[in-house]
Amino acid sequence: MKVELKIEPGRREPEIVILAGAESEELDRLVRELSGLALDPVPVWREDRALLLPQGEFLRFFAEGKGVSAQTAEGVYSVRLRLYELEGRLDPRRFVRISNSEIVNLDKVTALDLSLAGTIRMTLNHSVTAYVSRRYVKKIKETLHLGRRDRT
Amino acid sequence: MTQRMSGKRRTLAGFLLGAALAPLAVCLFSTMMLPAEAQAVGSAWTSGLHLVTPAMAEAFGSVGLAALVQSLLGGLLGAVAAVSTLPFADDGKTLAARSLAHFAATAALFSALLWVCRWVNSPRYIPLWVALLAILYAVIWLARWTGWYVEVMQLRELLGLDPGPTPLKWRETMPYLPFVLLVCDLLPLALGWVDRTFVVDVPVLSGLILPYFLLPVAGFCSGVSLGKRQGVCPLYPPACFVCYLPMVWLLFNRSALFHCFMVAVPALMGNLLGWLYRRAVPKKETT
Repeated sequence: MKVELKIEPGRREPEIVILAGAESEELDRLVRELSGLALDPVPVWREDRALLLPQGEFLRFFAEGKGVSAQTAEGVYSVRLRLYELEGRLDPRRFVRISNSEIVNLDKVTALDLSLAGTIRMTLNHSVTAYVSRRYVKKIKETLHLGRRDRT
Repeated sequence: MTQRMSGKRRTLAGFLLGAALAPLAVCLFSTMMLPAEAQAVGSAWTSGLHLVTPAMAEAFGSVGLAALVQSLLGGLLGAVAAVSTLPFADDGKTLAARSLAHFAATAALFSALLWVCRWVNSPRYIPLWVALLAILYAVIWLARWTGWYVEVMQLRELLGLDPGPTPLKWRETMPYLPFVLLVCDLLPLALGWVDRTFVVDVPVLSGLILPYFLLPVAGFCSGVSLGKRQGVCPLYPPACFVCYLPMVWLLFNRSALFHCFMVAVPALMGNLLGWLYRRAVPKKETT
């Protein structure tokens, strides 16, 4: 793959354009990774130590008591933002609210099951379980359609 | 708050409708009473339309008071029925608990209506009627669950967790099969039983309402639902036909074979209509 860097004096924001002859899974993944890098990282705290983590690392954000926590494959961190504030900062093609108290990273969903009582159980990264409120199913579908359309 | 207001309006509308329908139902029963049956029950049935059953009028001592009580019970049942979809706004344990509470209230009022208004010959039939009501609840639950299941399947597909459609969409049709079994097998058996226990000695439910109303409506509506969600599913109409087939000989005879078509043809039409709707109205996407 040929990589080229062009410097344009006066340009305020960098722009990446990928030229390819056909779509492929590798290209999709590359686009996702680059998009993740371009988005603002999210500040999280663990034991009074602040960290800036890229959005692609998060599995979910969830309300816990009076605060908000963030979960990655490595662990749980606290976040000093409200869920609605996070919604405004996170990639709308990747993160979606699944209930009043939870936002998940759709790229990390590994299973989806329905119970007899109508509870939709979502598994993230093969290990973390989240529950989808049916009131948000339409929004999730719209987000998934949006993400798919933007990638094509 | 809006949901609470909507619930109040629905309760009031349901009460008024139920209060009006209860005497109308008795009027309808009285028109169906055969002369021989009327003689067996009492000559009061023969004199024309009735707002209450003769047995109820006798028990209350006055037709006016009996009609008032009947309308009150019918209204209460209508009010409860009108809010039957509200529990489905929740999910999980809340949904199960609210559904059970709603079923308990409906069953209590239904039983009161059946016995206080003397719509059944004996109170020993009431548990069986409640069982029938439970089957109705199961059908509604199953229909809802089928919708949720299809939604989850769609989400799985969008998330890349599920492969494409199966041959002839047999797997996509499967969630509708329990509903078909209930409508095409359990419902006819239940209605056949009701016809034998009811005060009217005519197989109105299994002989008329089932083939000319319930089967076509159930076949058509489920076909539309399947078509809207999955497109054309060619196995669905034959499945309806085959599932009803044993009922032809269990409840009727060869002359009732047309019942199979009364569910399969509407299912096919509904499925095609649902598919056309799916094509004509693309899914809304946010920009």
